[in-house]
Amino acid sequence: MISLVNVTKTYKQGEPGEVVALDDISLDVGRGEFVFVVGPSGSGKSTFMKLLTREVLPDGGEIHVAGKNLGTLKRWKVPALRREIGYVFQDFKLLPKKTVSENVAFALEVIGAPGSLIAQRVPEVLALVDLTAKADAMPNELSGGQQQRVSIARAFVNAPPIMLCDEPTGNLDPQTSVEIMKLLDRINRTGTTVVMATHDQQIVDTMRKRVVELAHGKLVRDQSRGVYGYAN
Amino acid sequence: MSRRWAYILNEAVIGLRRNLSMTAAMILSVTVTFALFGGSVLLREQVELATDDWTDKIEVSIFLCDGRQCPAITPEQQDSLLTALEENPLVEQVFYESKEEAYQRFLERFEGQEDFTRGVTADALPASFRVKLVNPEEFLAIQQEYEEFPGVEDIVDSREILEGFLTLARWVRIAAVAIALIQMIAATLLVGNTVRVAAVARQDQTQVMKLVGASNWYIRLPFVVEGVIAGLIGAAVAWVLLIASVPWTADALAGQIQFVPFIGTSHALGVWPWLFIPSVIISVVSSIIGLWGFLDV
Repeated sequence: MISLVNVTKTYKQGEPGEVVALDDISLDVGRGEFVFVVGPSGSGKSTFMKLLTREVLPDGGEIHVAGKNLGTLKRWKVPALRREIGYVFQDFKLLPKKTVSENVAFALEVIGAPGSLIAQRVPEVLALVDLTAKADAMPNELSGGQQQRVSIARAFVNAPPIMLCDEPTGNLDPQTSVEIMKLLDRINRTGTTVVMATHDQQIVDTMRKRVVELAHGKLVRDQSRGVYGYAN
Repeated sequence: MSRRWAYILNEAVIGLRRNLSMTAAMILSVTVTFALFGGSVLLREQVELATDDWTDKIEVSIFLCDGRQCPAITPEQQDSLLTALEENPLVEQVFYESKEEAYQRFLERFEGQEDFTRGVTADALPASFRVKLVNPEEFLAIQQEYEEFPGVEDIVDSREILEGFLTLARWVRIAAVAIALIQMIAATLLVGNTVRVAAVARQDQTQVMKLVGASNWYIRLPFVVEGVIAGLIGAAVAWVLLIASVPWTADALAGQIQFVPFIGTSHALGVWPWLFIPSVIISVVSSIIGLWGFLDV
């Protein structure tokens, strides 16, 4: 589903202040896997996520996502790639002037989905994240955990084969984080590949999923059923 | 209206209302540009109207006596004058214009200004020989040669009547176009910048749109439409200004300059393609420049 071969990304290449964000990363993520990408701030997690959505291009190496070679992908085909990926932000990024169901529908509307599909999918996915009762609420009337569930519903409404989650529990308390993880786990069980960048140690240790660790732009660990630290 | 266009228009209107002072600046700037541009187009129409087919061809009018100011020219005198003119090496072409033809041409030139034409009868205008010179500067030689010719009432340098007016019109027009061009650059930059600011203000929304896979044009179009709406409003205001001011100015000038037809409301109304089409083109181009690289995937 996702494959990186010898991927390198350097910012300000050849200039003073050059930053090697990712250094010779090779990684394969299969269909339906759940992968944590861990590492401290500045370890290259953000760059890793941005490479997968083709917000940035690597300086070297090859990246394949959902059967597409991102190095040769035409610019106008980038939106098609992103329709294969559901993206969950740390700060939710809900549109404040739209209701919960409008926020979710927005993701389908802007890709030109027919109204009948929108009318069908939005209630389905709101039921999945257990927010049917809040369909007409505004985002500011919701708790952080509820807002993040809306954001996940929006990412998943198009039934993408891949979910990328960038610190989805970063703004939430531990108990709410557990709810979010249960939800992501449920989505993962539908066959969706989930890649989640985090530095929430407790969650990683509890879930016992595959862990990929980055440090200073290098892949230092790739462990199935791993934990956050070097414990084992 | 499709769902897609409803969305795009709605977003554009939200953008315009978000920052009213910027929107006003953008519209005013487009208005000034196109008021000047439209004005220069109308000035050209005015010049064309003042110089009809005849005035373009002839330089000298030799008016013939009809018995009111001087004894009417006899057919023999008229023939010999025509022969003399035709044989004159300074003359390139001679046309005879009868009283009736003069009257018809007069009516054509001042079409729509019945107040003025009503008082003039076919008999009031003299017949004339209309002369085109090999060298237009030779007017004085012609005047001296034929002034005393029997049956000649007056010899007029036709260019002179219009010359002052046309020279002025030409300079005003050059000035208007020059200012319009400078103002057009300002309007382009302003529209581009306003659209960019609007895009920055909605960065969260566009980021979401990008990451859910909205196409580039779906993301950009609301901002472009925002610029186009401002451009269209600016052009419309310019149009209204021209419709209100041009006939009024023409009337005032008509009081000063006799025997020159002036443009009126119908000309001002007809200038719209010169306002709306370029304003749409300019606002689309400047919106795209404003968004350049900013909303790329």
